[in-house]
Amino acid sequence: MKNGLCANELIKALCDAFGPSGCEGEVAALICSQIDGLCDSYEVDRLGNIVARMHTGTGEARAKLMLCAHMDEVGFMVTGISADGYLRFANLGGISPPVLCGRHVVLGDERNRIPGVICSKAIHHKKKEERENITPVDKMYIDIGVDSREEALKYLDIGAFGTFAPNYTRFGAGECMIKSKAVDDRLGCALLIEVMRAIKADGAADFPALELYFCFTVREEIGISGAQVAAQTIRPDFAVVLETTAVADIDGVAESSRVAKLGDGGVISLMDRSTVYDREFVDFALDVAAKSGIAAQVKKYVSGGNDASHIHKSGTGVRTLALSIPTRYLHSPSCVCRYDDYESSKALVCRMISEWRL
Amino acid sequence: MRGYAGLMRGSAPRPRPRNFCKSSLGIFKTFDAYTVGLDLKVFEGVRGNFLKKVPPRKVGYMNIHDMTVALCSVMSVPGHESECSEEIFKVIGESFDEHLTDNVGNHCFVRRCGRENAAKILIDTHFDEIGMCVTDVRDGGFLGITQTGGIDPAILQASEVMIYGNKTIRGVISSTPPHLKKADDGKKIEEMSALVVDTGYTKEELERIVRPGTPVGFAPEYRELCGRRIAGKSFDNKACAAAAVCALSDIEPGRLAGDVYLLFSCFEETAKTGGVAPAAFALGPDYAMVIDVNLARVPDVPEYETVKMGEGVSVSLSAITDAKLTRMTILLCENLGIKYQKIAAAASTGTNTEALNIVGRGIPVVDVGLPLKNMHTYTEIISLDDSEQLAALVGAFVCSEKIAEVFGR
Repeated sequence: MKNGLCANELIKALCDAFGPSGCEGEVAALICSQIDGLCDSYEVDRLGNIVARMHTGTGEARAKLMLCAHMDEVGFMVTGISADGYLRFANLGGISPPVLCGRHVVLGDERNRIPGVICSKAIHHKKKEERENITPVDKMYIDIGVDSREEALKYLDIGAFGTFAPNYTRFGAGECMIKSKAVDDRLGCALLIEVMRAIKADGAADFPALELYFCFTVREEIGISGAQVAAQTIRPDFAVVLETTAVADIDGVAESSRVAKLGDGGVISLMDRSTVYDREFVDFALDVAAKSGIAAQVKKYVSGGNDASHIHKSGTGVRTLALSIPTRYLHSPSCVCRYDDYESSKALVCRMISEWRL
Repeated sequence: MRGYAGLMRGSAPRPRPRNFCKSSLGIFKTFDAYTVGLDLKVFEGVRGNFLKKVPPRKVGYMNIHDMTVALCSVMSVPGHESECSEEIFKVIGESFDEHLTDNVGNHCFVRRCGRENAAKILIDTHFDEIGMCVTDVRDGGFLGITQTGGIDPAILQASEVMIYGNKTIRGVISSTPPHLKKADDGKKIEEMSALVVDTGYTKEELERIVRPGTPVGFAPEYRELCGRRIAGKSFDNKACAAAAVCALSDIEPGRLAGDVYLLFSCFEETAKTGGVAPAAFALGPDYAMVIDVNLARVPDVPEYETVKMGEGVSVSLSAITDAKLTRMTILLCENLGIKYQKIAAAASTGTNTEALNIVGRGIPVVDVGLPLKNMHTYTEIISLDDSEQLAALVGAFVCSEKIAEVFGR
């Protein structure tokens, strides 16, 4: 992969890369190829997290700031192969069964890639109650086009990983929307890379004196978070988690149940199911956004959770902020977000670093 | 497989043995095409039904994979079959002598054998696909949708669709992420009326692009699996159409046992009668082969109701198909080494056979099928090996002098 992809190419390459929780190698290799030369140094730790260090300003750093996005995406693991060559699977991360059935998927490990389809029996064979109810995961299987276990074993074995097939697309008026299986959280990864580029382009010395750690972490989706190890290694004073958040802003959802809105900028969380965020940090972010006219919004509903849950309690505690790109249909093969929300989130992070005052 | 075609030629002509002679009974008087034996060219003037277009003929075809993908990517949501006329013509028009279209939405591609009074052989492959259409435009740039054809609601959420309005735009069907699911959300699957299509346009912009009734189809996406299988949308039934095109486009006229009418019929997915009846009524074929996909064996389904993928074409044994034509078709397979499997479909084949069989004075029909998994989803799976066997059978069928002698005029 060539160094220095433009923003759209970068997001596409990241979104289409294969990286279910526990098998993030392809994504990591892509990210390393992009950050090489942008930072002072970077390393891949024992778990597979990428930690890139960048010193800004001159003189001693006022604070250690960790910026973090996870590399993994929701996916599957093959748990069994039937005598007639069908694969049974388990989910890696929370995927709701209605978005599984009928999908193109890709299976494999760090090297192989085998296409397949998640199936259940055809509607013609479903009885009335089967048609009306959600098909449970244990009634689904993956078809890779073979007729026996022996044939299947030529291509893969149990333990093989899987994700939804690459499907990055831009659509909508002026191609304003992004659709991909892995918006969560490759957009966060792309954002970090672009922030590194922006700082380097503007001259790192002109920024406030900070020790910046750009972390690309593993295994967020399954909760056994690589971010905790990264945070324990870095021991930062502050952390910003760049994420995506479910929004529920579609037609038919009651106003009181809406989490955030596409097009209104990055979403700043006050609280979710696992973290109560540092209020001073939140105020700083909202203040910077307001003063510089960058779109930003507050998450209006307590739901979900992210790497902040591990980071804010790591070591002796870390003051943590979560900034998320509002995304519809999260954890489905078709996550949808707006490119301008990505842009405004990126602008907000850059501005927060340049106006750092905590 | 092309070598199979024509092997059955050369036997001496025999008198017509069947009861499909021209009837003198009054009740059949209205069936001009049958009673008078009018050729289509005349007929078209009478009813104004079929419109004819004569393309420059070019021999040779794409390989069966490319043809399948090309035809299956054409939008043919029920009710909009006639809109894809040009697109189909672009893909296959040059392989045929004539392209006929009618008032209903049927397309017919003709191969002429060049002889007078030749048998009329109809090959029917329905060309419509399961799809959706817009019901209303909602606030925030969302579309309400309803289905045209029996889509499994289990596959709708988070799928990518194309909206064929004034311009073609992309959309995504909504889904609820697990983060926002509530404990009391039931096990019931959300019906189509509870889902919306996300378009990325404002309501005002959308109203300029679509209106209620605008067709919506699944986005074409094709992937090759292991073992010469391919996964994608609309193999039901355009994969069969593709096999038939591959078979027919390359046969020399002299080897054809009659004039071959390859019918791309409409409305199979939505109406029991289908668009096949008016087309067959206008064409007046002597005998016909209906090709449609057949449910392939997967886990949790009864073995005897399904066929096995990779084991060749299926031939239906049914009360509504012509027993002799079916026997002769099976014999063709046997003689030429075409892989086939029998399936019993007692009173109903679930295909156009049911409607075609009783058109006009009745048409002897053989019902053959292509094994297909995941029917009525956008990740249907077929085996290209089976497609090739089907193409071989179609080729042999239209070249079979024996069948033409028994069933021809």
